[in-house]
Amino acid sequence: MTSSDLIHELRASRPAAPTALRARIREISAPETARAPWSRFHFPVRRAALIAIPAAAALAFASAGVLGLARSDVSTETYRAEALEDTASPQHAPSTTLGTGAQDSAIGPTTDRKQRVSATLTVEVPNSDAVSRAAQDALDLTRRLGGHVVSASVATGEEGSAALTVRVPVAKVQEAIVGLSALGRIVSQQVTIEDLQESLDALERRAASVRNQIARIAARLETESLDAQTRAVLQARLQTLRGELRELRGGIASTNAEARMSTIQLTVVTPGAFGAVAPPARLDRTIDEALNVLAWEAVIVLAVLIVMAPFALLAFAAWLGHRLYRRREEERLLAA
Amino acid sequence: MTLDAPRSVDTTAPSFAAVAEELLDDVYGYLLYLTKNWAVAEDLTSETFEAAFKKWRRFDPRRGTPRAWLLAIARTTALDWFRADARRRRREERADAAEPRRDNESAFGEGLSPALEEGLRALTAGEREVVALRVVLDLDGEEAARLLGITPTAVSTRLSRALAKLEERMREDDVV
Repeated sequence: MTSSDLIHELRASRPAAPTALRARIREISAPETARAPWSRFHFPVRRAALIAIPAAAALAFASAGVLGLARSDVSTETYRAEALEDTASPQHAPSTTLGTGAQDSAIGPTTDRKQRVSATLTVEVPNSDAVSRAAQDALDLTRRLGGHVVSASVATGEEGSAALTVRVPVAKVQEAIVGLSALGRIVSQQVTIEDLQESLDALERRAASVRNQIARIAARLETESLDAQTRAVLQARLQTLRGELRELRGGIASTNAEARMSTIQLTVVTPGAFGAVAPPARLDRTIDEALNVLAWEAVIVLAVLIVMAPFALLAFAAWLGHRLYRRREEERLLAA
Repeated sequence: MTLDAPRSVDTTAPSFAAVAEELLDDVYGYLLYLTKNWAVAEDLTSETFEAAFKKWRRFDPRRGTPRAWLLAIARTTALDWFRADARRRRREERADAAEPRRDNESAFGEGLSPALEEGLRALTAGEREVVALRVVLDLDGEEAARLLGITPTAVSTRLSRALAKLEERMREDDVV
C-alpha cells in the first residue's frame, strides 16, 4: 500500500460524531440567542493597546504644541534682554551684586564705610551714528562728574559698538549710572559693591603699631647708653620698620583712592551687534518651546523605561521559560 | 505522496450554532485521533464546544478560520486531559494500584482496515495528531503549523514519518 492509498483510505473513513454527541453540542450552542445584550460586550485589549500607543504619542505632541504656543507668548523685549545678557556677559564679581534694572541703581554705596564700587552697563542705540554720539556723551558726562577715562574703544560701521571704561567719584556714581543709562535703551546693568573698610582698618592698625615701635626704638637710641652692637641692631630694626610704614601708608592711600573712585564699564551696541539680539519669530519660539517640552516628555518616558526595564526583562524571561516548559511538556505528552 | 488542495473555508462570521454543526465532525475526529478513545474524544469535544461557546464573542474571523480556532481550543483541552491523565497514572503507580490500562480503544473511522487501525494505534499521539490535521481534516501546512506551534517544515517531516510508519506497518501486515 502506498502513501496515496493510505491517504485515500484515511479520508474516506473520516470519523463522524455520534448522534448523541451532536445533540449535546446543539444544546450547548442553543442559548446563544437568549444571551443578554450586555454580555456581548468584550473589551478588546489588543486593539485598545494598538490605539493607546499612537494616542499617547499624539497626546504628547499635542501637549508639546500647546505648551510651546503658550510659552512662546512672551514679549520681544524679554527675549532681547535675555539674549543680550547671555552674549554681552558682564563680568560678575563675587561680592555684593545689585539688581539689573535702572531703578535698582538707586541702591548706592554707603558713605560711612570705604567701598569699591563698580558697574557694568550695556545700552542699545538705534544705529552706528548714535553709538559715536553716545560714546562722546559718556566721556563728557564722566569729565563733568570729575572722573576720567581709563579706556575707550569705538567701532563704527554697519554694526557699530563702543566699549568704555571710566572712573568717577563714588559720590557721583549713581548720577553717572543714571546719566549713562539714559544714553540708550538699557539691555543689562550690574552694580557691584565690595567692602574695603575692614582691610583699611587692618592697615591702619598695623601702621599705628609700627609707628609706636619706631617711636620706642628712637627714644632708646636717644636716651640710653648702648653698646655698639645693640645700637646697630636697633638701628637696623628701625630702618625695617620705617620701610614697612612707608608700604603701609602706600596701601592705605591706594585703598582710599580705590574707595574714592568707582569703575564703570559701558558697552554701547546697535540692535544688529549681537546675532542673538534680534528676537526670534513667534513660530521659531513655538517650535523651540515645543521641542523643549517634547525633550522633557522623552526624558520622563526614558526614566520610566529605565526603571521598568529590569522588571519587564524578568517578566519576559519568566514568560519565555514557562512557554519553553509547556512546549517540552506537550512534546513529552504527545510522544506517548 | 500527494495531498488534495485544502478546502476553502468561509471566513465570514456565522452563528455559533452553524459553526458547531458544520465543524463538529472535524473536532471530534481530531480528538479521536489524538486520544484514540471515543469516550474521551466525546467528552473533550463537549468541553471544547463549551469553552468555544464562552469565547465565541472574542473570535475574530480576520485572524483565522473558525475551524482553526476550534481546533486550537480542542488541542488545549486535549493537552489538559493528557496532563491530568499522566498525573492520575503517576498517582496509581505510586499507590501500586495500577491496573492494566484499558484504553477503551475504538475504531478511528468507519471503513478503516484493521491493519490501518493497528498502524494508527501504534503511532504516537503527536504523529496521529498531524495525520488527523493534514490528511483527515485536510488543513494546509501553514494552518497546521500555526495550530501545533511548529514550523511548516516540521509538520511535513512529522507527517512523512507518520505515513512511513503506517506504510511499514501495512507492508509487514501484508507479508504476514
